[in-house]
Amino acid sequence: MSAAAARPAADPRPGWRDRRELVLVAVTAASAGAVGIVNPGFLTVENLRFVALNSVVLSIVALGQTLVIAMRGIDLSVAPLMGLSAMVCGLLAQTHGLPLWGAVGVALAIGLALGTLNGVLVAALNIPPIITTLGTYSLFGGLTFLYSDGTQVDQVPPAYAAFGNAGPLGLPVPTPVLVLLLVTAACWFALGHSRFGRAVLAVGNNAAAAYNAGLRVAVIRIQVYALSGLLACLGGLVFVCYTGSATVTTGTGDHVELQSIAVALVGGTLIAGGRANVLGTVLASLFLSTVLTALVFLQVPPIWYSAGEGLMILVAVRGGTRRAAGRA
Amino acid sequence: MDMRAPAAADAATPRDGRRLPVGGWELALTALLVAVVAGFGAAAPGFYAGPASLLGLTENFLPFGLVALGLSLVILTGGIDLSVGAVASLSAVLAAQLWSRFGVDIWAASALGVAIGALLGLLNAAVILRLGIEPLIATLGTSFLYGSAAVAAAGAAPPSGFPASFTAVGTGTLGSLGPLAGLVPIQLALFAALAVLFSALVARSPFGRVLVMVGYSPDAARYSGIRTGRVLATAYAVSGAMASLAGLVLASYYDAVRPDMGDVLLLTAITMVVLGGISIFGGEGTVAGVVVSVLVLGFLRQGMLIAGFSDMVTTMLTGAILLASIAAKNLFNRRGTGLANQIWATIRRPEPPRANPN
Repeated sequence: MSAAAARPAADPRPGWRDRRELVLVAVTAASAGAVGIVNPGFLTVENLRFVALNSVVLSIVALGQTLVIAMRGIDLSVAPLMGLSAMVCGLLAQTHGLPLWGAVGVALAIGLALGTLNGVLVAALNIPPIITTLGTYSLFGGLTFLYSDGTQVDQVPPAYAAFGNAGPLGLPVPTPVLVLLLVTAACWFALGHSRFGRAVLAVGNNAAAAYNAGLRVAVIRIQVYALSGLLACLGGLVFVCYTGSATVTTGTGDHVELQSIAVALVGGTLIAGGRANVLGTVLASLFLSTVLTALVFLQVPPIWYSAGEGLMILVAVRGGTRRAAGRA
Repeated sequence: MDMRAPAAADAATPRDGRRLPVGGWELALTALLVAVVAGFGAAAPGFYAGPASLLGLTENFLPFGLVALGLSLVILTGGIDLSVGAVASLSAVLAAQLWSRFGVDIWAASALGVAIGALLGLLNAAVILRLGIEPLIATLGTSFLYGSAAVAAAGAAPPSGFPASFTAVGTGTLGSLGPLAGLVPIQLALFAALAVLFSALVARSPFGRVLVMVGYSPDAARYSGIRTGRVLATAYAVSGAMASLAGLVLASYYDAVRPDMGDVLLLTAITMVVLGGISIFGGEGTVAGVVVSVLVLGFLRQGMLIAGFSDMVTTMLTGAILLASIAAKNLFNRRGTGLANQIWATIRRPEPPRANPN
């Protein structure tokens, strides 16, 4: 999409790339339609609402991951960060009656602080992103464990549950979906239509050239990891509101770090950096949610769900990353 | 990876410009190992209760070490193998099913299990090479596939209750070593033998040279006539075989298989390889370093658990050590132009200009 304009030429198959969103929409609609024929229950309003709502948390987290991958980084720590935010917000609400706006503040503060820590480790100490976030994965997971002290979130106040499931002011669209639309629009603008986005893609394309061109590469890196942390924690807050529960394995148990990478890549973001597709990420997450729900409707044994996910990654990424560039 | 100016300057000067105060990364790790073992021995009652129990502690972490040895080869080529956990589970489950359902001898089933692991590794390589997919993504995808297959193969009641001769691998000691009888766990002997083999393979064999060369510069390797595809395929196959070996040792240790039992291996094994000094970008590092780092992280973890820390706190500390050690290494090597290095450079007195021999 528009972000692609930052990198002219050099792509072996531009036609396929440019149609990534269309392909995803078509494939999603086709699978939903096909399942609907077999089991009409799939195409009810409630179910489609569930499919959409179910994709929101992963979408939000994966948008942060998209920014990081666009900069040729990777953030494995999104999963424990999401869990930490869900745990802290949920416990504060459950035991101390923290109001919802307070929880938003807490989640964003945690994400900003710990995301910045990732960024500083990468940009200032020159630790490769995959190592940095592998290390902080353990650290953040441990923080969740220490904070929870053996307890877990199983009941959130009504305001939280309403935020997670109902629409604001009686609107039929659930609030999390609106939040996702807002975040998507912000990321789409930031990455494709702002100086910041240009700088991120430039760093992803060639960090040395970006540095020589006068970009403050270290600062940009820190900002992007901070944003990724921010979105991961926002995802955690939405998760605890939506499900009303949080445990020490929230996020890490479902391998959200791997899912978010998968969804970003299926959406058309290049693992080698320099190109991102914000809309593609959200659509890929929606597609994943559609397929996973469809498998339930088709009564496929749950053991094959992750195999389907694996196949989806391989098929979608096939041919997309021919460049032998490092993963970093 | 970017802005390597200071490192390049280093490369141009003789190697006496090295900043690492001790002889090398492996020595530093060895010192850390001694400190960890001595520290816990003095401070944590129960950590040291005779040499047999100290060596016995290794049974809890050597499966991670086996995975780390295989993963070392892959990371040396500049790749990564995220499927090791799933490979370990799948091949152990398949071997156990061969034994319990089809009456195959347990040792033959184990050998087949290792072969299956190597095949799964070859499949990884095929996905990477034939489909042209980045190793990180390729092995991420196959790990989902292998994981599902493991769950499917395990069924509702996975096999357990293996013959005593098989469970001895995980929990027994070597009996016929004269004065050392009953002292050395079989796991440790297995790991030691493979560690020597892998170290010799990487440091002393033509294959090792080629492996490092492919990791250092794939293009240069290809232009010098090396069949890089074969080298990569070998590395992934070995990684798969070692992962399945670790899965089998785990099966022997727990006297049971579970379709998710390999999941814990991945992150710790990567940590061991990287802490051991192998560059995540490939082409740099030694197996000796990985072996020492396996022992450091393993004894540290066991010591902390014995001292009463929870599993999670121990994991946190592992993560912190990984970050601190790589950061320290970067600073000592004067690698890159991170902010900390720039500050370091301005604080430090500039070095006197070197005498030019010409």
